[in-house]
Amino acid sequence: MGRRRRRVDRAAAAGALPAAIAALSRTLPGGPSPETFRRAKFDRPEAAPALWRLLFCVLSPVPADGAAASPAPVAQARLVKSELRSQGYPRGSLARLPEDGSQGSRELLLALSWLLARGPLLEQLLAQTRVRLGDEMPVCECEALASPGPPAPHVEADGCVDVRHLQWLMGKLRFRWRNLIASQQEQCALLGKIHSYTRGCHSDHSLGHLSVAEAELLRDPEGGRQVRAGGARDLGPWGSDQAVVFGLQLLQRLESENARLEAALEWRRRELVFWQWMDTVLGACPPDASQPTFLPRIPARGASELELVAQELQALQEELRKAAEPRRAAWEARVGGWGPEWKAAQRACEEAVRQELAALQRSWEHGGGLAQPHGPHRLVRSEAGMLGGPGLPAAEVITVLRSRKACLEVALRQLQGQCRQELARLAGALPGFIWIPPPGR
Amino acid sequence: MLPAGCSRRLLAELRDALDACAERQRQLERSLRVSRRLLRVWEPAEPPAPEPTPGPKTNEEAGSPAGTPSPQDLKELELLTQALEKAVQVRKGLSKTGERDRAPSLKSGSVASPATTASAPLHTSGRGGSQASETKPPRGIRRTTVPAKGFPEHRLLSVGDRTCMGRGARAAKPGPGLRDQQIAPSAASQSPEAFTLKEKGILLQLPMAFRKAASQNSRLWAQLSSTETSDSMDATITAKTQFLQKMQTTESLLGVWEPGGGKSGWPGSGLSAAEVEREVGRLRKACSLLRLRMGEELTADPKDWMQEYHCLLTLEGLQAIAGQCLHRLQELRAAVMGQQLVPWPEGRLPSAPSFCGGGTDTIWSPQLLLYSSTQELQTLASLRLWVAMLDQQIHLEKVLMAELLPLVSTQKPRGPRWLALCRAVHSLLCEGGERFLTVLRDTPAN
Repeated sequence: MGRRRRRVDRAAAAGALPAAIAALSRTLPGGPSPETFRRAKFDRPEAAPALWRLLFCVLSPVPADGAAASPAPVAQARLVKSELRSQGYPRGSLARLPEDGSQGSRELLLALSWLLARGPLLEQLLAQTRVRLGDEMPVCECEALASPGPPAPHVEADGCVDVRHLQWLMGKLRFRWRNLIASQQEQCALLGKIHSYTRGCHSDHSLGHLSVAEAELLRDPEGGRQVRAGGARDLGPWGSDQAVVFGLQLLQRLESENARLEAALEWRRRELVFWQWMDTVLGACPPDASQPTFLPRIPARGASELELVAQELQALQEELRKAAEPRRAAWEARVGGWGPEWKAAQRACEEAVRQELAALQRSWEHGGGLAQPHGPHRLVRSEAGMLGGPGLPAAEVITVLRSRKACLEVALRQLQGQCRQELARLAGALPGFIWIPPPGR
Repeated sequence: MLPAGCSRRLLAELRDALDACAERQRQLERSLRVSRRLLRVWEPAEPPAPEPTPGPKTNEEAGSPAGTPSPQDLKELELLTQALEKAVQVRKGLSKTGERDRAPSLKSGSVASPATTASAPLHTSGRGGSQASETKPPRGIRRTTVPAKGFPEHRLLSVGDRTCMGRGARAAKPGPGLRDQQIAPSAASQSPEAFTLKEKGILLQLPMAFRKAASQNSRLWAQLSSTETSDSMDATITAKTQFLQKMQTTESLLGVWEPGGGKSGWPGSGLSAAEVEREVGRLRKACSLLRLRMGEELTADPKDWMQEYHCLLTLEGLQAIAGQCLHRLQELRAAVMGQQLVPWPEGRLPSAPSFCGGGTDTIWSPQLLLYSSTQELQTLASLRLWVAMLDQQIHLEKVLMAELLPLVSTQKPRGPRWLALCRAVHSLLCEGGERFLTVLRDTPAN
């Protein structure tokens, strides 16, 4: 009896691994077939190109326009290596793989598993390519700062420029921002209209009205066909900020995303057996004894970021010292004659300050931004006081943004003040001139 | 002229800023195009033909329980709809500007009568409307009610279309068939008001297949985001941790590595470049928060000794924290240089969506943002852009300061060219490039 159960268990276990791998390959974007995974365990070269492609896809964000052609395999391989290295991939064998993409399937399989084990990789991937049905607006700016978009190909002018060129560029920048704000106002007005005109149509009552994507779906159900015909419509390259692939294509995208989501849920249920299998794969690898080869250090902007912050902190520390020392001296002078009855009150004060500062420290260390709204939100128009349901009221976000704007303005004024002082000092050293500041606001 | 290295770096920074702005503008333009098109008259999908084609222009049939109508019905329905639009437009045109041409309004008047047919009680005007089409244009116009009021009326409209289509539309068909050609372009160009969506937006209904897929989608996302723990989950987590540790120890690197990508504590412990970047970001945030707090303390006016003491202690505490941050930064710098980490390699791909500061608990599908008026939405959007712009300005300010101030202080001789440079730098750094100061030579009157 026991032998039969064990046989059944083994058979079940034998089927569990292929099912897990199949679920994984269904979840991954353009996932390699389960066969590839199996071949990779034995380091077969034919499995390598698919895994290089997969890693490149996983490690690079979805290109905004889809127009950027994916780079050549050699470039892909190089980017994969450098990205993994910068994330701290511990094995040096990866760096030694040839970049023509012909070898290394087992190492790549290990790299993929490493990424999977470290964090919610699949969920992140799915969230990146999520079909956006609503009109979304990010309530914070971290996304915009993180992904600056495709760099425009510049021919770097090596010549010297005059400072007037810089002034011109600054003016151009200011103008662009003004334009941007005006266009954004227009877009908000249009969205407001669309939302209020379609009030009451949505099947989901917590939403209440259609979004642009949904209305576009209704206006032009054959939108997918139009895109392919490329006719008189000025569609142009579409961004991923709105679900601008409409009609049949939208439905198809939704359905394929649903399939991927189901596969991800199935993977979650089955993944234990995969990790047990990966242990055997790792065991089959020859030990990677040598130190990882170091890539030459390329001076890039990142290093200067560190320097900038260091300079700021030093300046800040100096200012604090200048503010605190005289106060301490004055205090000591005053309190010298005080008796022990004040000690208790002083200690209470010390404790209060300690707690306040600890809270302050927590706010940057543990991501105190939990209280702050974050991420893209779907816009929903509702009359004030109508919905008590889930959702972030815009008024809250406005308050947070207003205070953030005030802080930033203070910081900017402070920096400008510093410059003014410094320049005044330099100018003052040169006698015989009168410096007339520009008229104030 | 600025030296080459300085020029190159500053140009690169400014170009990045300009490109970022241009990219946002491009995305916004795309969205604007779509939204504008939605608010205009919805044109049929096929290229314009001499007769209005029976394309799926309106969507009543999508939700109508009466089954799929015939092409003939569709055609007539479309004519009726166009007639309604013209009628509304005419009514608006009359009420707004009195001086619209009488000619198009008369033509529209005959077209308007099927509108009265539909919107007024159906059984009464069914016959009367079409006969009155030629004889009573002014009354027809005035009686035209905008059929956009209220839900039940629209339902009536969609049903009514079918009953009186036979009469009203057929009678009016030869008329509008031709007149549409003249009116349609003028209607489109006269006023960009939201005709179709405004009139019939409430009628719209999403197709069933789409609705099913969308609700399944949100259900699956909710399942994915839920963090339920169970025994198998714990076993999985343990297995993953073990795997990661094994990966690490096949390398003879020093130190302990924490799973989950947590920050490793001390230098020489295999810090990855990404982690260093994150820490630097955290310390930058720390610096600005400290500075903010310092500003608050310095501007506060202590009223009694307790508050004075509080202020003193806070300032000293802030100084200590600043010192700690600086120390940490120096450790990071040593780690980057000493260990020859690849800090920010040339071909570095932009990082995956980073968090504002914590966000390990992100819910992967979007939450709702409720706004109550267009004004509120506009305020929100413009504040967001202001914050982004100020962020960029502060960054540029720091970069310019770092490059230009040394230049001004070290350039000798202090001749007229230096004065010009000084003036330009002042305007860039202190006035954001918007205003200039004046320099006068102070010649003593001998």
